[in-house]
Amino acid sequence: MNVRSVVLRWIPSVLTLLLLAGCNFNARQSYLDPKGIIAERQFDLFMVTVWVTAGIFVAVGGALAWTIWRYRERRGQEGDAIPSQSHGNPVVEIGLIVVSVGLLVVIAVPTLREIWFTHDMPKDDEVSVLASWYEGETATGAEEEVLTIKATGWQWWFAFEYPQLGIVTGNEFAIPAGKTVRVELRGGDVIHSFWVPKIAGKVDMIPGRNNWMWIRTDEPGYYYGQCAEFCGEAHAYMQFRVQVLPEEEFEQWVAERQRPPSPPAGEDWDEFIQLALNEPQSLPDKPAVLGAKLFFGKGACLQCHAIDGTIAQGLAGPNLTYVGDNGSIAAGWMEHAGMDGKIDPEQQYENLYEWIRRSEEIKPGNKMYDVPGGLKDVDLTDEDVGHLAAFLMTLKSEDDEPRELALFR
Amino acid sequence: MKSETTFQSTTMAPPVESPVHEPPVDRPAGRPRSNIGLVRPDGRGFLVDWLTTVDHKKIGIMYFVFAMGFFLVGGIEALLIRAQLAVAENNLVSPQTYNQLFTMHGTTMIFLAVMPLSSAFFNLLIPLQIGARDVAFPRLNAFSLWTFVAGAVIINLSWFFQAAEALGWFGVAGGHTDMVPAVGWFGYAPLTMTEYSGIGTDFWIFGLQVLGIASIAAALNFIVTIINFRAPGMKMMRLPVFTWMTLITSLLIIFAFPPITVALGQVMFDRFFGTSFFNVEGGGQPILWQHLFWIFGHPEVYILILPAMGIISEILPTFSRKPLFGYSLVVFSGAVIGFLGFAVWSHHMFTTGLGKVATAAFSLLTMAIAVPTGVKIFNWIGTLWGGRIKFSVPMVLALGFIFMFMMGGFSGIMHSSAPADAQQQDSYFVVAHFHYVLIGGSILAILAGTYFWLPKFTGRMWYGSLGYWMSGLVLVGFNLTFFPMHFLGLIGMPRRTHSYLEGTGWQPLNIVCTIGAFLLAFGILLFLIDLIRTVRKGPPAGNDPWDGRTLEWSIPSPPPVYNFAKTPVVKARDALWADKHGSSRQKLGGVESGSHGIHMPSNSWMPLVASAGLLLVGVSMALKQAGVPFCGYLAIGGLVITTVGIYLWALEGPGGYHLHPRPNEGGARS
Repeated sequence: MNVRSVVLRWIPSVLTLLLLAGCNFNARQSYLDPKGIIAERQFDLFMVTVWVTAGIFVAVGGALAWTIWRYRERRGQEGDAIPSQSHGNPVVEIGLIVVSVGLLVVIAVPTLREIWFTHDMPKDDEVSVLASWYEGETATGAEEEVLTIKATGWQWWFAFEYPQLGIVTGNEFAIPAGKTVRVELRGGDVIHSFWVPKIAGKVDMIPGRNNWMWIRTDEPGYYYGQCAEFCGEAHAYMQFRVQVLPEEEFEQWVAERQRPPSPPAGEDWDEFIQLALNEPQSLPDKPAVLGAKLFFGKGACLQCHAIDGTIAQGLAGPNLTYVGDNGSIAAGWMEHAGMDGKIDPEQQYENLYEWIRRSEEIKPGNKMYDVPGGLKDVDLTDEDVGHLAAFLMTLKSEDDEPRELALFR
Repeated sequence: MKSETTFQSTTMAPPVESPVHEPPVDRPAGRPRSNIGLVRPDGRGFLVDWLTTVDHKKIGIMYFVFAMGFFLVGGIEALLIRAQLAVAENNLVSPQTYNQLFTMHGTTMIFLAVMPLSSAFFNLLIPLQIGARDVAFPRLNAFSLWTFVAGAVIINLSWFFQAAEALGWFGVAGGHTDMVPAVGWFGYAPLTMTEYSGIGTDFWIFGLQVLGIASIAAALNFIVTIINFRAPGMKMMRLPVFTWMTLITSLLIIFAFPPITVALGQVMFDRFFGTSFFNVEGGGQPILWQHLFWIFGHPEVYILILPAMGIISEILPTFSRKPLFGYSLVVFSGAVIGFLGFAVWSHHMFTTGLGKVATAAFSLLTMAIAVPTGVKIFNWIGTLWGGRIKFSVPMVLALGFIFMFMMGGFSGIMHSSAPADAQQQDSYFVVAHFHYVLIGGSILAILAGTYFWLPKFTGRMWYGSLGYWMSGLVLVGFNLTFFPMHFLGLIGMPRRTHSYLEGTGWQPLNIVCTIGAFLLAFGILLFLIDLIRTVRKGPPAGNDPWDGRTLEWSIPSPPPVYNFAKTPVVKARDALWADKHGSSRQKLGGVESGSHGIHMPSNSWMPLVASAGLLLVGVSMALKQAGVPFCGYLAIGGLVITTVGIYLWALEGPGGYHLHPRPNEGGARS
């Protein structure tokens, strides 16, 4: 029969080819390429389930296929007497149940072990408490705790707060390599879910519940995360990044973040604001300065966004203090850093520009545009938007080479 | 206690002296009137007859036709989803439309396609398989059908309001402009609160609520029918397995729907009357919704799959020419699945922070439910073993079902391991898993069942090789669509995402899935073509084309309006097979209907009226949320219509007339 030969011969081979061509198991959000301890343990457990079920599939599916082949009706058999009418065989039936239960135990035992492993903070963790490795200042009483990050999901972005260190970031955050980190998970409005496949499986961020998880990875790098619980219109556009930094770099990162970034003109932000208010003509006429004036003035950005150390203290949107260091904008949707985390400034400028200019098209429903007093009510020229982008690019750590580029004339 | 009184049970209302109890006649006499003097709509034209019918076969056919229609709607929604996802960073549909599409796809396929398709089979088959005249409550049965249609219309009307909004003909007074449900088929609070979603959620709440009424009414009807209306000798352990699975499914429905009814009521109160069941600021708990939803939602999975297992358990023995292997174990494992189905709901919530002990308990219970499921597969193989397997189209689909269902079952076992599930939950791995169960399981079984029983209910036999091409295309398209989704999930693609970035590496597999989806759709198209051409010009099927095993094959095709001319007296399991091939003691007996003939109830408008009231309630409440004036009163009006409908229905009595089948006009063999 034609159909059967198609089904039996062609389909499996075509499928296999397509799968081989289409699968990159180390894709950046692949959990088949685990880098964190929890992800590794979850992967190993997953593979136990794969081998057990694949074994059963081969055995049972093979038996089924063989039975179908062996007992098919052959040509000329149609009129023959009916086959022997067996109604069942208790020994076989009960035997198969016992075997099934046995195979499930093979999965159940490591499952229980991993449930306890992932739910309990590691006990041998003297090396991770802040006092054992962190040199700088911490909040009182935090020395004997591990580094804690409070992650809050909002429609449609993530806030990351380091209560022990006094840092807040938006959509991208950093953790030290080789240290256990506790992540407190909160839902700000609706339910979101925190998922960095290479570091750990997801845990939901639910309003009214104090969920948490611990994570640890020994491998520094730039990791990709995404909201994994449907949370409304722009759910697909709600992503985040984790930088895993070697211990010293992480301390450096913290030290930088604890200072405000330098203003585009003047000694400090107070001076800049004073000048901008009282003697605007004394400020240099460069894009970043003009952008800063828009940020604090006509653009009304400060209503929702914060830049630490300045009068911008809005809480409704991501904290922008060091947004220039982020490898992406628009909650991870517009990228200007590769998988090494290195930023391409031209791309960054373009992304910032496009995002401010066309946020409603890029991420429909986003609350930067579509709220009363949002960008839909602010009349920014293309030039204004360019200035704002230039300003945001200056909100970055000092030691990189200057990004005040030739881009803007 | 079973005796020849079976037929009299259809006249359960108090005995009534009405004109219809005239001396027996062969066909309806004039215009019968109900107890309260209204004319009953008997013997009218085609349309009125179908709108008012209380015949389980006609109701079953209408369930099938409506559900197939919604199956196509859900399928088109699925194709739009796949088209959007075919390439990275695509913008074929907007994010909001995409969210509406997947919400409506899920809601439609579960509540408006698979469940009513199962109901179609219940309606068509149960009275015939147990040797009964009809279901216990024929008018309640019609009410279930029309209430299902009302719920389906409420949900889908939202598309028209959205279109009207796009054209500027309709708007909401403040708040969100989305009018089609966009909260996902499990509508997690607090996304369903008024702050976060528009009147689409109201259409969804009221649609589901009305569908729940339909399901519970139907389930009670079938439970009563199966327990009480069995032919003499049809002991419980002689019931066909499909009837058993219907009974278990119906029991699941009456226990599973109350929690969702309560939960939907709470959402409605939060949205309309400012309560705080799910609002954290007001002291509510969003997680409560998930518990209430999934203690309905998981049994719902078995509500969708147990009828399919029943269908498969009828087809495999027939085309192997052997009885079902381990009948009692298959029945028992079905019951165990139904029971355990209520004890595993939190495996949908492994990532919500249940704590260690709860997570462990639900992990183990979920693994446990794999055992009775495995038992069914082993017994199906045992049925085939030593048989003589005939590759008719229903059999090809049934064998495909076993393989596909096994795959879905195995990914289910992978999910039961909670820590591994933390990576799979809400990813495309889950999407692959449940489509293997729902398409590879339920839909394949429904296709198989359609080919199996089509000759019985149309009197015509499908012909040619189109059915085989259809089966091949459906199986290939299905696997091409959903097998790669396992890998998409493994490499991190979350479900319910409108788009994805090029850099994620999800592009190649997505295009494969999309191609597969269109192949699958083409297969379904062939199915419909084959269906229609069989109904139109298939050759006569005869009473018993497959050498069938159960009572429905003992009567003419299509079955006469009264089903059995003589009440069959059952002597063995697989009653008809035993009659044909068993010992002389296993021959079917027959009980004559006696001098008064077979009682046929009158048609009735009342079920349709009661359902129409519910339709009005649902639509008005959604529009009330949109700020349309007077809609609250309209909703109250709808409730009044439903109440009046049910009241008149209670008063009008069964009515009816009597038939005397001529000798040899079909019925139990003797």
